[in-house]
Amino acid sequence: MTKSIKSPVSPTTEKEKTGDDLASHQKCMMTRRQFLLTSGTATATVMLMMKFGAAEAAVPAMVTKYPRKLLGKMSKLKNDEPVLFNYPDDGDYSDSLLVKLGTEGGGGIGANKDIVAFNQYCTHQGASLDGTYKAATKSLGACPLHLSTFDLTRHGIVISGQAYQSVPQVLLEVDGDNIYAVGMMGLIYGRNNNLKG
Amino acid sequence: MSTPYYIPEDQVPLPPKGSDVLTTACDYCIVACGYKVYRWPTTAKSGGPRAAENAFGEDFPVGTMGWWVAPTQHNVVMHNNRPHHVVIVPDHDTEVVNIGGDSSIRGGTLASKCYNPATPTADRLQNPMIRMYGVLMPVTWDFALDIAAEVSKHVIKKHGANAYSVKTFSYQYMENTYAITKFALRSINTANFTFHDTPSDVTSTPGFRDAGFDNFSAAYEDWGSADVLFMVGTDPYETKSALFTSHIKPAIEGGQIGLMMGPRATAGTAFIEKNGGLWLDTLPGTDLPVLLAISRIIVENGWQDSDWIKNWVNDKWGSSSGFGQGTRNTPWQWRTTWGKFQTGGFEDWTKWLLKEDVSQLSVASEISGCSEAKIKKAAEMLAKPINGKRPKTSIMIEKGLYWSNNTGNTNAISSLGIIVGAGGRPGQMIARAGGHQRGGQRGGGYPRNKSPEKVPGRRKRALDTDRYLVSGNTRLAYAIGTTWIQSMCGSSGLADAFNELVVNNPHQIRSFDKQEIIDTLKKRADSGGMVVFNQDIYLRDPIGARYADIVFPAATWGEETFTRANGERRLRVYNKFYDAPGNAKPDWWIMAQLAKRMGFEGFDWKNSNDVIEESSRFSRGGRKAFHMVKVAAHREGKTFHQKLNEFGTTGIQGPTMLREDGKLVGTVRLHDTTRTLSDTGAEGINMQNKKMTHFNTQTGKCNIQKAPWSLFSDYWEYIKPKKDELWLTSGRINEIWQSGFDDERKPYIRQRWPENFVELHPNDAKKRGIESGDRVMLYSDRIPYQKGTILGIEGDDFQFSSLQKNGHIEYGKAAVTAIAIVTPAIKETVMFMNFLDTKQPANALQGRVVDQISGNYNFKMGSANIKKIGESQYKHTFTSMSFAPRTIT
Repeated sequence: MTKSIKSPVSPTTEKEKTGDDLASHQKCMMTRRQFLLTSGTATATVMLMMKFGAAEAAVPAMVTKYPRKLLGKMSKLKNDEPVLFNYPDDGDYSDSLLVKLGTEGGGGIGANKDIVAFNQYCTHQGASLDGTYKAATKSLGACPLHLSTFDLTRHGIVISGQAYQSVPQVLLEVDGDNIYAVGMMGLIYGRNNNLKG
Repeated sequence: MSTPYYIPEDQVPLPPKGSDVLTTACDYCIVACGYKVYRWPTTAKSGGPRAAENAFGEDFPVGTMGWWVAPTQHNVVMHNNRPHHVVIVPDHDTEVVNIGGDSSIRGGTLASKCYNPATPTADRLQNPMIRMYGVLMPVTWDFALDIAAEVSKHVIKKHGANAYSVKTFSYQYMENTYAITKFALRSINTANFTFHDTPSDVTSTPGFRDAGFDNFSAAYEDWGSADVLFMVGTDPYETKSALFTSHIKPAIEGGQIGLMMGPRATAGTAFIEKNGGLWLDTLPGTDLPVLLAISRIIVENGWQDSDWIKNWVNDKWGSSSGFGQGTRNTPWQWRTTWGKFQTGGFEDWTKWLLKEDVSQLSVASEISGCSEAKIKKAAEMLAKPINGKRPKTSIMIEKGLYWSNNTGNTNAISSLGIIVGAGGRPGQMIARAGGHQRGGQRGGGYPRNKSPEKVPGRRKRALDTDRYLVSGNTRLAYAIGTTWIQSMCGSSGLADAFNELVVNNPHQIRSFDKQEIIDTLKKRADSGGMVVFNQDIYLRDPIGARYADIVFPAATWGEETFTRANGERRLRVYNKFYDAPGNAKPDWWIMAQLAKRMGFEGFDWKNSNDVIEESSRFSRGGRKAFHMVKVAAHREGKTFHQKLNEFGTTGIQGPTMLREDGKLVGTVRLHDTTRTLSDTGAEGINMQNKKMTHFNTQTGKCNIQKAPWSLFSDYWEYIKPKKDELWLTSGRINEIWQSGFDDERKPYIRQRWPENFVELHPNDAKKRGIESGDRVMLYSDRIPYQKGTILGIEGDDFQFSSLQKNGHIEYGKAAVTAIAIVTPAIKETVMFMNFLDTKQPANALQGRVVDQISGNYNFKMGSANIKKIGESQYKHTFTSMSFAPRTIT
């Protein structure tokens, strides 16, 4: 599946995309995100989403609107020791963390589905959450500004606090031992469009 | 977003240059953060990320605390019948309340509450409906109002005004509450009237009132400028968010000492503990012994503020003869018929305190489950001078305190406040933090003399609308903007009464003919049944969905221009910025149409400004007196709303005064003993309220009162868990406002909290084989329901044990399911649920017995068994809920 993915597109190229491209990108990202969010549940919603499953082979190709970025090797990750990276570009608020939770998390990859990645800025008012990962609760925060906390086992959902959305989750894919970032769920703080950093 | 399922977006439109910009404030909690609404037609080009391309004048990405727009802050609404984008963001320019544009998760998602048929708001009520052939069918306003008016007139004429019950929100904007109370209290003049959070129209904090304290005397800056802040029965981080994050958190980071008291720890509790503060972990209903024990330690060590007490506390003469109007005619005296509360001043109170058994440290610790060390430490923090200097101490209270032992707790905290010198100086205040905003403006007085209930002595007590209804005396129940059933205690038993009186009555509408419909509903009332009107923005279950015969669709926040005040009496205009859905109308309009059809005069308003201008003179003397805003407006040829709008998100704090130069001035805090008003009295038509500079008593000084445990201890002992039961208490959670009427339609919030939950301690969970994510059943077969309306003769007729003995208590069964969250943040032997989930209502398990002195429910007092009935879908999937503790720092 990963073989069909195009080479990563540089952020500079992304900025030149037209509105139509963005609309189409938005549509397939939506599908990919919906699939991720609903996998593993057993509701009517899932059955609806499963219809998209047939088209899933086509999804990765379009996910490349987000750059495909090599983050590191699965074999090097240690439980609860976050690895920092920038995504989807090196611009403002691109600081992200990759972490092996040691327990299954929503959207997790690897044998134990416990490897997840998130943007590191609070989706309330944009303070950095760097260094706030808590191994005991698999959470980010409390945000130094207004104390929001986020559950990394549950797609970065707000545990307690004032943020208006989950901390954006970086979509991951595996190729052998390599971990790639391939997309994002949720708008990065400060931006009006994730791909316009 | 066309699904209640939350799909995170990764871009958002920005308002272009030239967008319409309107100010408003958040619709939800007491704090009322200032917001700005940006509006532009969908046919216009949206703004771009460069400063020159957007209405904020900001380059994107914006900086921290900048004008960012989250996807949940955008929506598409109709304005003048044409689709417009709206972006609703906190006002980053504001210097008050949510300083710099702070916001909560509730306000941050305000845009998602706006009606948009492509979102889960699609089911907003849009037309009046009448239940015909068992189905609520849309009809016209004329059709519904004609029927409602005829049935109303009949019920009042045949069964008396008290057969007509009006149960309404107290706060959903002054224009509406004025119209509703004018209709119910002045025009109909029914004693069968109350607000959303109490069965009777009574004061929420009797001890405060009797001490002479206004509930909302403090300014937000006072909570920040105190050296020591005691927060009792609330963590203001939860649902008073910006009060904590903008005012208290910075203070604590600057050295303020925070204390909190209650059985549950949340994010604010964890934050104060981390910063040298203290959590007094008490069992439900045990505040009084702890407060007395703290007070006792203070006086035994001589740490009380003697100068303050000397100058500002009533002595014997001030207490017993200084009331001027005659002690037997004040509410304060009515409550003291048996001499249970009144003292002859500080020394007399101290004598009582030292004799009171539960003021002993060991006894208070035993009852409350809070360690002696913590109680001692609290006394030191609150009052012990450091290097000879007293700390500036402020006390903030909320429902965990005053809805556990309503009268006793508010008496005890008032006296503690007095001895630590809190109440009348900057940074030294005692007040409520607040729940909902302050949007009440009375259009009529409560006819207490028409109430059939009398407490011992000479005093009538406001009619208990729930007991009166259960007894079958209410023939028409009109619920406005409240779920009624689930909001009240013992809600399952209350629902049984509605079923019996409404659904099971044989007179149901089986006709399309207006007169036949009217006749059927009249017959219902005459046969001993009850007719139900419901006025709301959504069809709530069961009050609207199952019981209402007639439903009126209301317009709300953003759909009409309204006025309201926050927890520091700050008045702002909430501007209309989009069209109400369908034929929904503001409540003031609905009341006016109905009132006119019933033959009442004085309802000829053309718009909401007319209503607020009529009401303004009745606000004089009140804490948010805004009459002078109207006076200033008219001098300048403006309307009230235009004038107040000039103050934007800053607003003005009531009571307002008008200076000679035409400038309006507000009031930072009430009871401000450091404030000097003109010694020649008020100028012009200004009014200098005593409460601006003194306390709400005849002498202007505080009353220090006794707080006997014995008035409440028998009820506490009854509720106390037996066998395998645990305490069950409830409260607000940050992410959900009130009954969740908006939040269950905000996909993100719904994903966070798809159901009600119950927190329980790991030790209690382990014994019962319960883990986080399990679906549990909470149940009880001994929920006390008070019944009947009685005339008290003997002093203890309303004491719980007397009610039991005299057959006024019956025992009900109820069960509620929930999702278990196992956390050490809740005290062992205590369970906590969200207070108002309409599908899984915690109140079903709380005793429906009113505080014997005040008539309020003690909502926080319950106990129940709990057992696992299986695993929920949330236990092993990852899209919804979180079982992580709320105390991560």
